[in-house]
Amino acid sequence: MERPFLEAQGLHKRFGTLEAVRGVSLALRPGEVLAFLGKNGAGKTTTVKMLSGLLLPDRGEVRLLGKDPFRDPWALKHLGAVLEGNRNTYWRLTALENLVYFGVARGLRLAAARKRALALLEEYGLLEKAHTEVRHLSRGMQQKLALLQALVHDPEVLLLDEPTLGLDVETSLQMRDKIRALARGGKAILLTTHQLEVAEALAHRVAIVHRGEVVLEESKEALLARFAGEHYVLELEAPPPPGVLARLRALGVEGEGPFLVRGDGEALWRVLEALKPLPLKKVAKAEADLLEVFLKVVGRA
Amino acid sequence: MLDLLLVEVWRSLLALRRYPLELLGAVVTLSLIFYLLFLGARFLAGPGVEFGGRLEAVLVGYLLWTFTLSAYNGLSFGLMEEAQTGTLEQVFLTPYGPVRLYLVRDLASLFTQGLLVFLIALVLMALTGARLSFTPQVLLPFLAVLLGGYGLGFAVGSLALLYKRIGQLLGLSQFLLLFLLQAPGEGLFRLLPLAPGAALARRMLAEGAPLDPATLFLSFLNGLAYLTVGLFLFRRAVRLAKGRGLLHGY
Ligand SMILES: Nc1ncnc2c1ncn2[C@@H]1O[C@H](COP(=O)(O)OP(=O)(O)O)[C@@H](O)[C@H]1O
Ligand SMILES: [Mg+2]
Repeated sequence: MERPFLEAQGLHKRFGTLEAVRGVSLALRPGEVLAFLGKNGAGKTTTVKMLSGLLLPDRGEVRLLGKDPFRDPWALKHLGAVLEGNRNTYWRLTALENLVYFGVARGLRLAAARKRALALLEEYGLLEKAHTEVRHLSRGMQQKLALLQALVHDPEVLLLDEPTLGLDVETSLQMRDKIRALARGGKAILLTTHQLEVAEALAHRVAIVHRGEVVLEESKEALLARFAGEHYVLELEAPPPPGVLARLRALGVEGEGPFLVRGDGEALWRVLEALKPLPLKKVAKAEADLLEVFLKVVGRA
Repeated sequence: MLDLLLVEVWRSLLALRRYPLELLGAVVTLSLIFYLLFLGARFLAGPGVEFGGRLEAVLVGYLLWTFTLSAYNGLSFGLMEEAQTGTLEQVFLTPYGPVRLYLVRDLASLFTQGLLVFLIALVLMALTGARLSFTPQVLLPFLAVLLGGYGLGFAVGSLALLYKRIGQLLGLSQFLLLFLLQAPGEGLFRLLPLAPGAALARRMLAEGAPLDPATLFLSFLNGLAYLTVGLFLFRRAVRLAKGRGLLHGY
């Protein structure tokens, strides 16, 4: 396997009494899209900022192509980021001016930045807006430009914080195509999202983040299998004795508070069989947001 | 680095060209302030009193003050605005590092602010009838003063980075700058920021004194010392801001 472009070991970040990120480690390899999936406030943005040298971790370290961005700012030449809730570009400059400016600010020569900017605008269908001020562009175009701004110096690593949030359907689909194409082109991409469906559409691997911790990391296929089919949430009046718990585990039941049962109705009956005659509190089909359900079970939320 | 300087100059010129009313507003306001002071002083001194050569010195002092003021608060205003609009973090992603980037921005502002000051000078010469025919050597102590101004700008920029809302402080410190620029260039006053260079420039303009190399050297030493202190503080502030997650908006 190729050496990771980006590596992080044991990242911790605390804001006052809040532990926003607790021991997050990750590795990003060329051509790979890793999705950080988690609810609002899970610590995704905080992690992205630590990876991009904007937020100093309390503990742990980051390596960008082997270099520490906090010690050696030139490491940042290998990184592009689109940050959530930020404009990411100057609203009073045109699309082209922004790309030229950020290209040079990221270490390109002026002529090279200009050439690259025009090529990118062309490739992303923004050439006719090259001379329009960003504040006059549509939200979708602004977001596209934010991506181009992150790409202008052709970095190996891309960090995209909620890249399709708030976009209309069409732009969102376009954006997905572009992200997939960038990965095929060999970039190592980390994206964050709170939507299972976005992770499903784009990622090769998914890490589920909950309360600052990665509670699960696996291939997208494994994750999809986990969320496929029917799910039931089951609660008991009292914790089951160890023998019963062992039988539940053998049937693939997860969790310890509410339990999560995966499979069709028959699977549910087998589980109920195993529980007999313990008093039940609740049996319900999980129809809401599956991620939510999963986190309740795994994260003991 | 040269390309970065070029692109920063280009960016500020673009802003001037695209929003000429803002430039015009600045020129009009700053010219008007001086002109009103000028009329007021004439009124107090009574009719028939002429400023003579003094007017020229006062005008140059005023121009130096506006220039120094922009050197002093430009960084802070920029930081506050960019934190609010959300471009600050992208700026901090530069591999040059924020300190070098903002130094280059200061250098670029020498050109654009120089243009602004030049325009104000033209307007005020027309309004007051003053003639600015000073020796270009005066620009050297000016430069020393500006170095110190940028240094103080980095110091107060550290506060802007950490506390964001420092508009009041910036407003008040205009008067501090005025004091520093008017302070005598002797004794312990020479240790104050801006003071030795400003005093030298004043002597050259008002008394027609020649450029004294030793004093000029001292003025540059003073300017560089305060620039170094400012950069040191700013570096620490960047570190702190990165520790506490203060680079984004409110
Ligand atoms: N600079 C900060 N100061 C204080 N608290 C913060 C700061 N940044 C984030 N937080 C808190 O850290 C937690 C994680 O936030 P964040 O990483 O933005 O979550 P996510 O991106 O997953 O929605 C939240 O509770 C948030 O309020
Ligand atoms: Mg977030």
